Amino acid sequence: MGWTSQDDLITQLTVNGKGDTVTMTKTLNSAGTAGAWTLLSPHNGWPIASTFAGADLTYVPTDDTWAQGTIYTGGDVSTATKHFLTAGGCVVAAAGAPWYIMAIDLVGYVPLTTTNVSTTGTKTVTMTALSNTASKGDRYANGVGLRMFVASSVVAMGANAPTCIINYLDQGGAAGATTTFTSTASMGVGQLLNTGAAANKYNPFLPLAAGDTGVSDIVSLVWAGTAHASGSVIIGLCKPLWCLPLPATGLYSKMDLVNAMPSMRQIKDGANIQFLLFQTGATTTGGTVNIDFDYGYGG
Amino acid sequence: MSGFANVAEYARADELGQCWLTAFRKTVASAATTTKAWIDYSYFAGSPPANFYASAPSVAALVERDKGFRFPDVTPKTQHLKTVNVMTANTATAVNARQRLILCDYLLYYPFIDTDAIGETQTMTNNADDPLVPAIPRYPAGKVIAVAQSAASTIGTFTFTYTNQDGVGGRVSQAHSTFAVAGGGQVVSADGGGTSFNPYLALQSGDTGVKSIESVTFTGAGGGLMALVIVKPLFNGYVTQECRTTTGVAYGAADEFMSIINAAGAPQIKDGAVLNFFAEGTQGSLAGSQLVGFVETVWN
Repeated sequence: MGWTSQDDLITQLTVNGKGDTVTMTKTLNSAGTAGAWTLLSPHNGWPIASTFAGADLTYVPTDDTWAQGTIYTGGDVSTATKHFLTAGGCVVAAAGAPWYIMAIDLVGYVPLTTTNVSTTGTKTVTMTALSNTASKGDRYANGVGLRMFVASSVVAMGANAPTCIINYLDQGGAAGATTTFTSTASMGVGQLLNTGAAANKYNPFLPLAAGDTGVSDIVSLVWAGTAHASGSVIIGLCKPLWCLPLPATGLYSKMDLVNAMPSMRQIKDGANIQFLLFQTGATTTGGTVNIDFDYGYGG
Repeated sequence: MSGFANVAEYARADELGQCWLTAFRKTVASAATTTKAWIDYSYFAGSPPANFYASAPSVAALVERDKGFRFPDVTPKTQHLKTVNVMTANTATAVNARQRLILCDYLLYYPFIDTDAIGETQTMTNNADDPLVPAIPRYPAGKVIAVAQSAASTIGTFTFTYTNQDGVGGRVSQAHSTFAVAGGGQVVSADGGGTSFNPYLALQSGDTGVKSIESVTFTGAGGGLMALVIVKPLFNGYVTQECRTTTGVAYGAADEFMSIINAAGAPQIKDGAVLNFFAEGTQGSLAGSQLVGFVETVWN
């Protein structure tokens, strides 16, 4: 459990030390795309830039021990539960404002490279469906609440903009398919292909089939039309956690999550905290993104 | 039971995955807008894409769903607005992006009404005339907004007849003015001489909504084209300051509105809703400015 009262929260933090502050900084490797979202993990900084290792078309679960750039939040606390208390951030860049920062728990990803990106057709994914076990990979039982996106991962995208659809199993194991989106040519590393300011874009997550509340299994990705000339991508599977507005360059924003509604989003044991950046304009290469948050736990 | 019985259910919806967040970015066209008049963000480019009300003239039509913010259908559960968070972007020299916002469900519209057709009764085609024409969806009635589909050169005057919320036909609106606008997507309805700007058109005394519009009659030429749009207003908010950097000084504000905390209850968003914003630029033209943000919903 979390806390039984505001008094308990204060006691756990100030007397028992059950909480901490986390900071991170990223420097954008390339210019952003106006109106699109960017996954910050493959960009340089702290934590290190992710390279999304793994066999093509095979799901890679991730947790807070992921060697490719995750944030340590104190490890496991079960049977207590850990929660965000505040979130803060600041972007410094000559262009791109205003921005949003969204924290996500990246539960896992599916890498696609070379001909799995540069050819059209159905790309079948190997993945053991998420279930309801004590495994950290199942920290969202049966995938309830999980969302998907498709991001350029390590190699920036080449020319052409195919359409794309993801087939999946929902939280109950039933087959579903996302709404078809149109990709974008030449997006830089980390940028979400399904986002942008145009028709057939979905910001930031792919719409699920009617009635679905989560994703337990990624079945396949289907490219159609004219394939990207080159590039590498991931299908990201994540739980959205919070979203922070950053109105102008250099302005620091801080969000109180204790008194919001609903309050204090949980950081599950094993959570791999990552961040998405929305940019109104094209954020400048070399722009820096600074994020921090406080967390605590009771029990 | 659908909906939320208590705060615990409201909070738990997120843990159950019964939530959705959709972000948007809309750019107002370059034509100047009038201070304290309203604009229709659905008409402008971005994400979701522009809605130009481009269908058969004077025939009732539905706005395509992809022109509104994307939310899932959740029946038999009910979906409710949880959070609206907005910011504006502008250039260093155009710093007047403060604006009032109304989030609406776009229900039905009648396009390409000629504001120069003085004395002519422009008859609208409705579901009652042709079963292939849609009737008002989701709500029994709504409010009416006049959206320009072209520039308009002068002050016009018009009334319209309609069927009210109780299904009574032959009702006659108050007399309205239009005013000169520089381009489509600007709300053209005004009081009197065209200096006091209305988001909603005034109805016959005692009426609270419009189910369908039967005809429009201009007695003074407005010099343009307009659509009459029936909407259901869901939320009222405000953007307090544009985001910009001038000579190294950063300005900006984000505005967040949360149901339950900032307002009693949480407005319902019905399956099939086409959501977008109308806005009133309170300090000057909104031309070229961008409205970005996100809308979150929860359902149970």
